[in-house]
Amino acid sequence: MSGSLLLQSIILGLLLGGLYALLAAGLTLYFGVMRVVMIAHSAFLILAAYLAWYFHRETGADPLLSLVVTVPLFFVAGVAMQRLLLSRLRPATLTMMSVLLTFAIALTIEGMLGYVFTGTQRRIQLDYSGSNFEIFGANIAAVKLIAFGLAAVSLLGLYLLLKKTKFGQALRATIQHPEAARLLGINTDRIAGYGFGLGLATAAIGGTALSLDSTIYPSLHWHWIGPLMAIIVIGGLGSIPGAAIAAVLLGLSQSLLQVPMGTTWAQTVFYIALFATLMIRPQGFFGGRLAQRF
Amino acid sequence: MIASRKARRLAISSAACIALLAPLGGCGLDSGSDGGSDDEIVIGISLPLTGDFSEPGKGVQRGYEAWAQYVNENGGLLGKDVRLEILDDQSSADRVASDYEKLISQEKVDLVFGPFSTRLVVPAAQVAKDYGYLFVEPAGAAEEVFTQGFDNLFYAAPAVADDHYNLLAEEILAMPDNQRPKTVAYASMDDPFAMGTAYGLKDKLEEAGIKTVVDEVYPPNTTDFSSIAAQIADSNADMVVGGTQYQDAVNLIVALQQLNYQPKLAAFSTAPTNVEFPEAIGDKTEGILSPTGYTPDATYPENKEFVEFYTELNGTPPTEDEANAWTTGEVVAAAVEAADCADPSTECQQKLIDHLREATVDTVVGPLSWDEEGRPESAHLIQQYVDGKIRIVLPEDQAEAEFIPVKPAW
Amino acid sequence: MPSASSPGVSGRTGFDRALFGGKALLLVAAGALVLAFPSMAPDAFILSVGVVIASYAALAVGWNFVGGFTGYISLGHAAYSGLGGYATALLIIDGGLNPWVALGVGAVGVAVVAVPIGVASLRVRGASFVIVSIAMVLILLLVSQSWAEVTGGSSGLRVPRPFDEDVLRPEQHERFFYLHVALVVVALLVWWAIDRSRFGMGLKAIREDEDKAQSLGVPTFKYKLVVFVISAFFTALAGGMYALWFGYLDPIFQFSILIGSYMVLMSLLGGIRSLFGPVVGAVIVGYALEFFKNQYGDTQFHLVALGLLLGIVVLFMPDGVLPALGSLVNRFRPKAASIREESAAELLERSEQPRQAEEVSR
Repeated sequence: MSGSLLLQSIILGLLLGGLYALLAAGLTLYFGVMRVVMIAHSAFLILAAYLAWYFHRETGADPLLSLVVTVPLFFVAGVAMQRLLLSRLRPATLTMMSVLLTFAIALTIEGMLGYVFTGTQRRIQLDYSGSNFEIFGANIAAVKLIAFGLAAVSLLGLYLLLKKTKFGQALRATIQHPEAARLLGINTDRIAGYGFGLGLATAAIGGTALSLDSTIYPSLHWHWIGPLMAIIVIGGLGSIPGAAIAAVLLGLSQSLLQVPMGTTWAQTVFYIALFATLMIRPQGFFGGRLAQRF
Repeated sequence: MIASRKARRLAISSAACIALLAPLGGCGLDSGSDGGSDDEIVIGISLPLTGDFSEPGKGVQRGYEAWAQYVNENGGLLGKDVRLEILDDQSSADRVASDYEKLISQEKVDLVFGPFSTRLVVPAAQVAKDYGYLFVEPAGAAEEVFTQGFDNLFYAAPAVADDHYNLLAEEILAMPDNQRPKTVAYASMDDPFAMGTAYGLKDKLEEAGIKTVVDEVYPPNTTDFSSIAAQIADSNADMVVGGTQYQDAVNLIVALQQLNYQPKLAAFSTAPTNVEFPEAIGDKTEGILSPTGYTPDATYPENKEFVEFYTELNGTPPTEDEANAWTTGEVVAAAVEAADCADPSTECQQKLIDHLREATVDTVVGPLSWDEEGRPESAHLIQQYVDGKIRIVLPEDQAEAEFIPVKPAW
Repeated sequence: MPSASSPGVSGRTGFDRALFGGKALLLVAAGALVLAFPSMAPDAFILSVGVVIASYAALAVGWNFVGGFTGYISLGHAAYSGLGGYATALLIIDGGLNPWVALGVGAVGVAVVAVPIGVASLRVRGASFVIVSIAMVLILLLVSQSWAEVTGGSSGLRVPRPFDEDVLRPEQHERFFYLHVALVVVALLVWWAIDRSRFGMGLKAIREDEDKAQSLGVPTFKYKLVVFVISAFFTALAGGMYALWFGYLDPIFQFSILIGSYMVLMSLLGGIRSLFGPVVGAVIVGYALEFFKNQYGDTQFHLVALGLLLGIVVLFMPDGVLPALGSLVNRFRPKAASIREESAAELLERSEQPRQAEEVSR
């Protein structure tokens, strides 16, 4: 492996890891507030990408502008999903049944996308699709950098929201100890709904970022959900910094391993890391008390 | 929920079983049509109209439908009207087999035509073989199709996947030493057809001592090509060859452009012949090569009629998918005319098969004949984008433009 | 839905005897119907649909060993059916084994492979198990596509026929229909035997409340692992049998999340706690799939239908149709008494509801 290829792979890996981190943060939020493994997360991701594509096709405007609509829309959809669907499930079987329910939602979204937009692969054609600039002999595509920037800014925003605001405190309290949070007068149900909305909003941002530089098709979400779930287990279910670190590390390893192993085998790194984590440290590498039992 | 253990195991299970199994023959799963009527010939086809192969699948459907209409407007087949019975296999191998099962055993169609894509051709051909049906198919070009012992199968196109680049390979090997590419990067979709094309060329070039510097295979649904592109760009190969379908070629080319990689020759299968390709790549197509089994400009008399009829019907000239479907129709029709029968009986189907083994059929892609395993024995044309348009550059006697040996930057 | 009275009887009433008789009669009738099905089927296509449904039933029953007894929902059981198919095919092609020996050896091999997977995914509760189950399908899809020298890659693999060439296709369907039915019957017998055993009691204790089961001395991890391996074994047998019948393996369809979700839907719809639940679910879902395909073949709508159906089942009848029907029959039961049959989970839930409900039920 030559030096420039190494550098190139590291940059690509970091750019990819940023997107993974944002999406994994969303998954972690759901799990944190409700102990729900949200299979439909990546289906919403693809849905957002389709909306961005559709928006671009219809208006000709930059797909990034579609965020103005999709982020609030997804936030509301997330709150509605939590309040109307997931909260109906029995607490005793919540983990299993929520998996099935969100799985059903994922199938429905995939089917609807296929129905409305057909199974054809779509890609946004932008003027700056092929443009790039060079740093130390490595080329960085403009679209990838935009996607990464979007992910990084959103992640930072999410972090500040959780750390600095009253709502963030309430949300973290709900994640850490719902009963205690309730005793303190926090309306945990409402907070859980907002947590869900926030999680889904990350899918809207991620999907738009994805649509800039990738082909989309309805069943694409299966290719995202596997790596994302591996990331949240490795990061320790429920830990957002853990998920972010795991995401960047795995994105980087995937990109680096692609050179000697080829794309297909490189994807297995997620699953190998997943199994290794469960064998060595089932609670994940950055998880706290929460992860012990799940 | 409060329920006794006994009640839980209630044999209502069996009741449901009976209720659902018994009417199976009658309710819902029977098709109304019956292939046995005397005044028409029913042709059963299953195509991927939804799912992964839906785009080419629909192209094939248009080709078949145009052919049937053409035949019916010109006196039919053996004096009878042709009716197509098209099912959707959702691009699934399980489905395609059950579709042909249904067409043959339930609807008792007189003839079958093949589906799209190697993956679906193999299971479908198995069903046809089990019932002794002739199986002419428009899309299973990969070597795997011909090595399964199907004695009923014929591929209705000029050449199998491995031979698609033959003319290009000859051209490259004939180049003077200073022009000839010395290193080549290959990237292919993990698909029997796409890999067949790229590796067919690779074998020939390697034999002549041209070095392979990158050899990448990616899964069919890959969307992120940045790291494959990074390797190709890093190798700085003289030539890049893509065993591609459509979208993957677009993605790969954009990713290569993002890395500012400029090869001397670039060849991709299938994608560049697609009408949407220039739009997807922008104005950066110049010099891109592609093999094709079909061109609307071919001078065979059958083709002129086909292009005219098809264009009038659909408003656009046909592409390779439509042409292959049409060719399938022509091949089967030729066999039917020669054997003077078109019915499900084993004798008739065997007569059709025996005829095609020996025959040469004039089609829109030229005269076709087949070897023992059903491989066609002609060659693919090589096309190249010259002055913004895709034109035939090889072989020389059919060329519409001069072959560009050094591709301009993209 | 819970009614105020708690049925469940210690002695046999006349109603029970009638019920038992009715059940036996239904069972015999259903059995006879299943056996007669091949000769009743009007054509080979209907027969092949029957084989597919029987295959679904075998898969669903195989799934229900782990799903029904422990309540652990595996969305990735297609991993084991796919592995069973590939193992069988490769043992025939490369190992030169007799097809039926290959089927058995292949399933045992898959069971062995399932041990480390079970160890990794069952040590922790719920969520990780589901995640690993999905990951298994995705990882096996990647491997089967990439490892072309062995698996044939994405071109797929043709499986040699177990019967001679002169056995015609409809005849093949008939034989495989009976073979699949036999597999279902064997799996049901094993399920029934476990259900009545001490082992089964322990498993069900895990399903209702894993912590309590553990504190009562049930070796929860060991039990879960054993039943998981049994489940993988039967699922692999079903997958191998299907491969022998269908004759062609394509990685995308072998290791598909959709097949895994069919298994869940079928079992859940029929009722995971009941013996015949998965079979009933398989018949309903298998039939519905064919029906939808026949009626609305040309759209992606079947995915939406599947998704909505699964969602409705999860939200409104997570116990399946059989228990729902069972409780319906119980309404006609004369005065019932005493012993409560309900899960700790249900108890817990009810105890969280307003007091008065609790008082009524005591």
